[in-house]
Amino acid sequence: MTNMQGRHRRPGSPLRRQVFAYSIALAATVPLLSSTAFAQAVDVSKWSPDYIRSIAGTETFDTAGQCGSVVPNDYSGRVSYWYTGPFEADPQIAHDQDKAFWEAFKAAYPNIQTDVQSITYNELLDKFRTALLGNAAPMVVRLQILGGVEFAAKGYLNPLKPEDVGYASADFWPGALKSVTWEGESYGIPTNNETMGFIWNAKIFADAGLDPEKPPATWDDVVAYSKQIHDKLGIAGYGLVAKQNAGNTPFRFMPEVWAYGGGALDEASANPTYETVEINSEGTKKALQTAVDMYVRDKSVPTSALTNTQAENQAPFIAGQLAMMIAHPAEYAKMLDLASKATGADKEMADAVVENMRYGLIPEGPARRAVVFGGSNIHVVQPEYVEGGQVDEQAVKALICMWTSPEWSTKLSWVGSNPGHLGGFKTEWMKERLDTIKFLDVTTSMLPNGIPFPVLPEAPEIMNIIVPDMLQNALTGAMTVDEAADDAAQKIEALRGGGL
Amino acid sequence: MTSATGPAAMSSASTRAPSRRASLGQRIWTQRADYLYVLPALVVMLIVIAYPVYYTIELSFFKTPTSLQLKDKIFVGLENYTTILTSGSFWQVTWQTLIWTFFSTLFAFLLGLGAALALHGEFVGRGVLRALLLIPWVVSAVAASYVWKWLYHSDFGAIGALLVQLGLTDQPINFIDNRSTALASLIVVNVWKEFSFAMIMLMAGLQTVPEQLLRAARVDGASPWQRFWHVTFPHLAGVSTVTVLLLTVQNFNSFIIPWIMTGGGPAGASDIWITQIYQLAFGRQRWGVAAAYSVLLFLIMMVLGYFYVRALTRGDDARAGA
Repeated sequence: MTNMQGRHRRPGSPLRRQVFAYSIALAATVPLLSSTAFAQAVDVSKWSPDYIRSIAGTETFDTAGQCGSVVPNDYSGRVSYWYTGPFEADPQIAHDQDKAFWEAFKAAYPNIQTDVQSITYNELLDKFRTALLGNAAPMVVRLQILGGVEFAAKGYLNPLKPEDVGYASADFWPGALKSVTWEGESYGIPTNNETMGFIWNAKIFADAGLDPEKPPATWDDVVAYSKQIHDKLGIAGYGLVAKQNAGNTPFRFMPEVWAYGGGALDEASANPTYETVEINSEGTKKALQTAVDMYVRDKSVPTSALTNTQAENQAPFIAGQLAMMIAHPAEYAKMLDLASKATGADKEMADAVVENMRYGLIPEGPARRAVVFGGSNIHVVQPEYVEGGQVDEQAVKALICMWTSPEWSTKLSWVGSNPGHLGGFKTEWMKERLDTIKFLDVTTSMLPNGIPFPVLPEAPEIMNIIVPDMLQNALTGAMTVDEAADDAAQKIEALRGGGL
Repeated sequence: MTSATGPAAMSSASTRAPSRRASLGQRIWTQRADYLYVLPALVVMLIVIAYPVYYTIELSFFKTPTSLQLKDKIFVGLENYTTILTSGSFWQVTWQTLIWTFFSTLFAFLLGLGAALALHGEFVGRGVLRALLLIPWVVSAVAASYVWKWLYHSDFGAIGALLVQLGLTDQPINFIDNRSTALASLIVVNVWKEFSFAMIMLMAGLQTVPEQLLRAARVDGASPWQRFWHVTFPHLAGVSTVTVLLLTVQNFNSFIIPWIMTGGGPAGASDIWITQIYQLAFGRQRWGVAAAYSVLLFLIMMVLGYFYVRALTRGDDARAGA
């Protein structure tokens, strides 16, 4: 990275500036130390809805002061940044927090010019790829959790780790740090992390003769519950999603695969090497068999599962035609939104469903309880691919320090995610979120069960294409379970070997 | 501004008219003023069409692994082409592409012809009906795809519910989540979307059928079918050829409907060339293989384009030779 080239500090006497800088550094040392110490104090083994509630609101942070120790607050420079900010469909609070961040950044760093673009989730990767080809990328980009590894592998990104912006690696989830690591080097910092939960309609459970307050404990239970619901009520039990080329599919199928002890590669192991293909392992085949059992044998899941994304499951759920599904933390807010838009008898039904909506942990399997570790990371682009050919390192650090701070990583992920910086869980804003967002504690308590997708440039193809293809081959009867799993294994082997 | 008319102008034109035996260079030189007029357009076309074509052909000889930047692509000669032609999915996708193109074109043309003939006669409400039949063509393909996706929906689709209500089936028909019905279901949507285009083209063609010939045939006792087959249809031959070629090109390149409605699924049952190319390029970042696929598609399009231009200029050649 270039540093300070063509940049100018504000005029001032060196002595006064030094004193100012030392005092800022001294003041910043305390929260930095406290931050590191606090991370060790967070006991992940105790992670539960109660624990999350117990630590929320117990710590305060001075973000501007802390970041001022990394980059002086009077630094003068420029930073360009692309990210997926709030759009029309997002709730007002997301817009407010986004606006508040830029105001806070301007207040903390009044002399840093910002050139910011908010780009939709589906467009960001393609636009970023294109900009890199034309050396017109921004200095900083925030990408979905596995988006960065492709660019790190191709040499587009600068090494970047939490320590570069004044934090400790211990302040972040190990799984999140794994997702920004390529060949032993860190290329980004987690901004937000989330895991999904399991939602069900308590009234449908009761009508089907199930305990309305007790979710299925295991994936075998899911199959049995789904069948019972379908047989008794004639509606779909479990919201299977198996669309091709859709990220929703692996996010809902891989937790089951991992629960049975399978995987695509060895991503579920404690120290994955990504060298062994496990998609045709017994665990994966067992998970695939349960999907076939529900879709083909019991017909207890939507027939449209092959063309459904999660969005298509929302309508039947709010209409009381679907009993249970894996859901994002923001699903409850989405259901409230859908209910508010319904009219007449539909509204009555939707309100009843919201009333009967329950969140629980994703079921476990013989091997473990698992969920996909999701979120986003922030990255710095190599200067030669940036518009103008320069990266203002100090301005970049100032932005990243602010964005990944306990305060802003909490506020900026208000509705749908959780702070990337673990310190965020101790802030007053986390407490406010827990008080205002129903079921947030449940989905958040799944975080220790989070498994990141393989940190490989090929991961998007494995997860978004090969895994859904395997599911479709088995569900349509085009192949047996064994054949579909072996076919997927061959495709992954070929992919890793550089073949088609 | 003055314009040259009369014998002088004709004489000038005849002097400038190139001999049929003149070389290409001589012909260009003789008509240099005409070429200068179209030069700006040619330059723009070279930039926006010729260069991308050249780049695609060049890219088709390279391998582009996911872990490498595009500039670090590896030259592999014709390997991408052999990879495509020897892959099992290629022939399945090609077969599905041929089925998609053939039946979409055939039924869109036949339906368009029927509609054009029906609307050719005078009757009350003809204008309204013509406008209604044009709706599928003017509706956005993206919007239409989403509407049809919900109409076909295997659990809550309107078509399935209607069939159940009418007692024709016990449960909703699985249109697009079934390997054996997905492609046919998409063809129906495509035909619905395209037949209006054929109708418009053929309605224009019907205007050229001489009324006196039809009257003479009627006086001679020709039946309606005989009048259509021996008088009307021969006059529609030219426009029919052009329409079929345009529909064929459009269907071969059709992307929106299959991509939005099934994404090529289930299990690849509705995958056609263009969805496969998109998937290879943007889903899997196999730019080299996708480029090779595109070159093959381009060659087919060029052949179809040749016949299209021939069909369009057939009359010109005849007049030039006269």
